[in-house]
Amino acid sequence: MAAQTLAEAAVNEGNYAVAFPFFGAERRGAPVLAFTRIDSKKIFSKTQVYAPDCVVVLDDSLLDTIDVVAGLKPQGMAIINSKEKPEDIDLGKIIKTATVNATSIALEILKAPITNTAILGAFAKATGIIRIESLEESIKEKFGEKLGAKVGERNALAARTAYERTITGKSRGVKKLEARKQWLPTHQEIPVGGALIEGKTDAGLIGPGSFIENKVSGWATYRPLRDRAKCTMCLLCWFYCPEGTIHRISDRGDLMTNYDYCKGCGVCANECPVDAIKMVRARA
Amino acid sequence: MKKVITGDHAVAIGAKLCRVEVVPAFPITPQTLIIEHIADFVNDGELDAKFLTMESEHSVMSAAAAASAAGARVFTATSSQGLAFMHEMLYATAPLRLPVVMANASRTLGGPPGIWCEYNDSMGARDSGWLQLYVEDNQEALDMVIQSFRIAEDKRVLLPVMPCLDGFVLTHTVEPVDVPEQAEVDSFLLPYEPDIILDPKRPAMIGTFMPSEYIMELRRQTAGAFESAKEVIQQINSEFAQKFGRDYGGLIDTYMMEDASTALITMGTVTSTAREVVDELRQKGEKVGIIKLRFFRPFPSYELKKAVSYINALGVFDRSISYHGGGPVYNEVRSSLFGMKIPVINHLAGIGGRDVTTKQIMKMFELTQKAANGEKVSDVYWHNTRGETV
Repeated sequence: MAAQTLAEAAVNEGNYAVAFPFFGAERRGAPVLAFTRIDSKKIFSKTQVYAPDCVVVLDDSLLDTIDVVAGLKPQGMAIINSKEKPEDIDLGKIIKTATVNATSIALEILKAPITNTAILGAFAKATGIIRIESLEESIKEKFGEKLGAKVGERNALAARTAYERTITGKSRGVKKLEARKQWLPTHQEIPVGGALIEGKTDAGLIGPGSFIENKVSGWATYRPLRDRAKCTMCLLCWFYCPEGTIHRISDRGDLMTNYDYCKGCGVCANECPVDAIKMVRARA
Repeated sequence: MKKVITGDHAVAIGAKLCRVEVVPAFPITPQTLIIEHIADFVNDGELDAKFLTMESEHSVMSAAAAASAAGARVFTATSSQGLAFMHEMLYATAPLRLPVVMANASRTLGGPPGIWCEYNDSMGARDSGWLQLYVEDNQEALDMVIQSFRIAEDKRVLLPVMPCLDGFVLTHTVEPVDVPEQAEVDSFLLPYEPDIILDPKRPAMIGTFMPSEYIMELRRQTAGAFESAKEVIQQINSEFAQKFGRDYGGLIDTYMMEDASTALITMGTVTSTAREVVDELRQKGEKVGIIKLRFFRPFPSYELKKAVSYINALGVFDRSISYHGGGPVYNEVRSSLFGMKIPVINHLAGIGGRDVTTKQIMKMFELTQKAANGEKVSDVYWHNTRGETV
């Protein structure tokens, strides 16, 4: 939505723009890529962007696992949703960086950790590529059309607030992020028909059970906290957890949540008949 | 043992001799007799198989793929609209490398609805990853079910195979068929032993979601299996010929091609009729011959090139139309022979199940010979079609 709204705002300013997402089969909250190209003339390229002028990161937990600025042009800029100042953010190289705590703004104004409109305000402030007024218009139109005028207004306000709170500076360049290893077999190596049994490669496990390495705690904005005194052990949370992260500890008659795999969806808290589960911020 | 049986009966006996273990089934004319015979075999205790009556052809192929992934030898049969209905699942079976064998009784795919022989049903599945072959008589129908399992389950291939037999012209026609002994077939076709199957004791992932990082390599791998299949088909044909005394030629078969100057590429039962036409023309001293296209997938480009290298003109029979000129066989042949300076003429006939007569086949040779003599002819002829000149 952020990439599309930005494209729409750019077009409204008389430019040409394209925006498109790239994602896997995961549900909302999983890391996704989205691209926006803006030019004064028609854009023909239909490929992904590999050397961007600007990288926008909506979730700073990605900074620990992915070199988000790997392809960024030397004069390019990173815009990051973070409570930190630019100089406290280590991107592995010193580059122009802007930060804003978009999650807090979203929670404050939208009452939900949906940061895509707030982060656009930071983009307008940091790059000057688009005017904040154009963004506000596009947000009101795009979100208003789908979710009602009030939601449109609030999202525009989130963008405006982020615009005002954005801090620009330069990142630190100390840490060395290793390129993420990926299992990329040749057509001769890939098992016949793609059938997999449990296996181990240089890039990690493959086949059944390999998702144990796929820790998703970074996705979570909230995590469930259970009040043992209130809990009646009805097991509805255990039953409903879509990820199977709630385990029964049989010898103690208790439950335990494995936060490595909890995506913070809140289904457990929603289902709990005695309100024993509260969702609390996973990161400030 | 000689038996006078229909093509459908021959196919069913072929499946029984292969000791198929799972048969998901849904009836459709003119294939129904196949699954009815198999149901009888299972009911009478002659065949130890799970016979599953499904609610649709889409379910048939879903069950077939799943049973094959679980390690079973799977056979089924379909036709026309049934094949179309399972189209989606055809694409699930082949790239997952599940060696299902399914007979297709060639029948016109409507609309308008019809039940007689045309190849527009199976031609629509030509890029689904299934091997496809077309048989000429009931003996070949039975024999090719047996060979199909050998080809499908060969570790160099591991692809589903679709033997096609002409609807009614074979399915409902009786002729003598030599039924092999069970022991002979057992020594030719060993039990299916896949490397990876769906088994809770040894978990496996088959057919799970795959991102773009893998699908291209998998397609390339499947394309490689099609190449390997060509060699495997020839090898198994020779082995079969040695054991059972019937040599079908492998990917293609030829008749009177040694000194032919004009040839016709045929498929299915038209090959059979064309043999008599060739005999007749040969008596008149005309140097004509037939190339029987047995396998349409993999397409025997190399074998065709070799077979036509000394001829002056080539006719191509097609029993379906690809709506940009000629039929699908014609277009494949032309691209296979690219660079060879042989005129290639397309003969469309028998569409919708219209009978293909010796007279029509004569005409096909006559027109092709004209091209061989350098006379001006059309690229595509619609035979026995009102409003057309031939």
